[in-house]
Amino acid sequence: MLFSEIYGSYFNVVAAILTEASDGPLTPQRLTAIVQEKAFGESTLSIPAALKSGEWPLLDGELRSVLRHPPTMPLTLLQKRWLKALLSDPRIALFTPDTTGLEDVEPLYRPDTFVRFDQYHDGDPYGDADYIARFQTIREALHTKRRLLVRFHSKNGALHTLPCTPYRLEYSSKDDKFRLLAVRQRRLYTLNLARICSCELLEPYDPADFTLPQVQRKRLTLLLHNERNGLERVLLHFSHFEKETRKLEPHLYQITLWYDPTDEPEVLIRVLSFGPVLEVQEPEAFRQALQTRIRTQLTMLDHPE
Amino acid sequence: MAYQELIKHFERIRSYMREFYVYGFRSRDQYGEKSARSYDNERRRIESWLGGYLSFHQDPSGKRVFLSVDSRVIPRNPLYKAFKAKSFTNTDILLHFYLLDLLADGNLCSVRELIDGMQDHYLSRFPGAVSPDESTVRKKLKEYERLGLLRSEKHGQELRYQRTDDTPFPLESWTDALAFFSEEDPLGVIGSFLMDRQEEPSDLFRFKHHYILHALDSDVLCELLLAMEAHRTVELTVRNVHSSREVRRTVCPLKIYISTQSGRQYLLGHAYMGGQLVFVRLDAIRTVKAGAVEPQYETYLAAQQALDGHLWGVSGNTRRTLDHLEMTIRYAPWEEYIPQRLQREKRHGSVQILDEQTCRFTADVYDAMELLPWLRTFIGRIVELRCSDPAVVERFQQDLERMAALYGGDARAVQ
Repeated sequence: MLFSEIYGSYFNVVAAILTEASDGPLTPQRLTAIVQEKAFGESTLSIPAALKSGEWPLLDGELRSVLRHPPTMPLTLLQKRWLKALLSDPRIALFTPDTTGLEDVEPLYRPDTFVRFDQYHDGDPYGDADYIARFQTIREALHTKRRLLVRFHSKNGALHTLPCTPYRLEYSSKDDKFRLLAVRQRRLYTLNLARICSCELLEPYDPADFTLPQVQRKRLTLLLHNERNGLERVLLHFSHFEKETRKLEPHLYQITLWYDPTDEPEVLIRVLSFGPVLEVQEPEAFRQALQTRIRTQLTMLDHPE
Repeated sequence: MAYQELIKHFERIRSYMREFYVYGFRSRDQYGEKSARSYDNERRRIESWLGGYLSFHQDPSGKRVFLSVDSRVIPRNPLYKAFKAKSFTNTDILLHFYLLDLLADGNLCSVRELIDGMQDHYLSRFPGAVSPDESTVRKKLKEYERLGLLRSEKHGQELRYQRTDDTPFPLESWTDALAFFSEEDPLGVIGSFLMDRQEEPSDLFRFKHHYILHALDSDVLCELLLAMEAHRTVELTVRNVHSSREVRRTVCPLKIYISTQSGRQYLLGHAYMGGQLVFVRLDAIRTVKAGAVEPQYETYLAAQQALDGHLWGVSGNTRRTLDHLEMTIRYAPWEEYIPQRLQREKRHGSVQILDEQTCRFTADVYDAMELLPWLRTFIGRIVELRCSDPAVVERFQQDLERMAALYGGDARAVQ
């Protein structure tokens, strides 16, 4: 169904080649360059040769397209049904796409088909007109490369004003929240969109002058004692981090992963959730933080009030 | 057969990519039943598709290959590339571009006109080139009609074909939505196909807690969604993740449960053998075959809704008695985020504020054992833990003692 050559890299690359070759003949170098730019690592071994030899009779001897038009393809029914399904997602209000062409199409699924059973309850208010307006202002700033003046409430409720250069919008499915990633004075800020109370477009900036501050990620080394299917559960749970796993003994593994230091409290409770299956090796401060939590808990249960 | 970058079947590469991405600690000779040549070919393909994300580690027992991605810093799921590597024949690519080009002016053409057009406009330029036979062209036209690329009309005894895009689809207005939903939607691979058609796709978004492995199960999910929309039963081939044994199950598919905290996806369906609701992991499903329309679909759906109100996760526990659980938490006055956390994460449970430093979480669920990982995240704050199933509290206490032992703490028994 989805695994079809019409969606494939080769058909896309050949379409790009034919589009360029409909304006005039390509050089062999340009042909190879398009493949290098758009296809897989080893596609240069097969695509240019098949086109030049006439195995795929789509380019003439001068590497000009034999087609009468630049190639185009209608949307498949599956693509339209997927787009139609998106129209029932509350987050589509943030985008307002043109829905022409989907009038008589059945959605691929309904809004309640998916149950995200462990998603947090306090997701962003996607139906709120002010929230949508702020989201769209940020989108505009990102597209037009303009700076922003953002007013937001901090966790303790204080109102702050931040002139900044927006970098990206970050979404978390677990939190069901958008955050604005923005830079000011070589510092990266992460602001919850729901806490932003106003957004104002400022002057354009030169993208060449923009530098994304590098976050120095911290390394966490864990020992995994494989029981209760712990190996698979742990590796899937932490799979979104850059990580490396080594087998030390038949039921003992070492996992190294890299995380953003600002996420340390969250990473700590995620490690705790696996109980005795996971043991922190280093950093020592992380290990001690867990030790303290465990000791406190033992005391609390030993001496209930 | 010589190595090819493209593949005919998806299943083997699905298995290798999962191995490299989730585990990545096995060396070449530890890939069990798969031959060394198969391993070499699949590794080479994955390297060709995902070069930058593949890493290697050499130790005395061999070279280990693993896929390592910090999904927070990338705009697009690299695993979608596997769906863009389907092999095809020379005739497939020729017909694709010739047929769509011949019909690009919006005209209606018969099969004969299309065959003649291919010969006159294109193939005549290539000495010795032979036009595909009529039955091959007919098959391709029917396939493209099924896909929605073409439509047909009967004129007398003759079918005539036309493209379905009489007016261009306004895909440009979807640019940002595609960038977002191609990552966030469970079938985002379709959005990724659409983004491939755009000259300048959007790069506005990044994703935190972003699980990308589900991409490899997209075909299975798509087949299930199509069956669910039509209220059809499905016959599944399910492979046990641990034993590799395959079984067949016939179920009426009702919902897809997704964990945002592990990326796992599950089908919840009514199983005809046993007559009960079951969860099946999507990554364990090998094939999906749609069956008959189920007249009792709404009845099964109502059963799912009744079940859902007392589910914590996706436990297959079929007991239909509820466990009652209570956890009392103590926090400091400056730790307001603790009761906020409980409110946010309580699912079907409830939270009661007892005083300004104490609150109680209560839940009635089918399988309280499922709460243990979450309960452990409150270690250091739990004043009291009670459950109608004593095994739950016992397991919590035993695990706590073992953790204390691991971290060199006091491993005495908890009362």
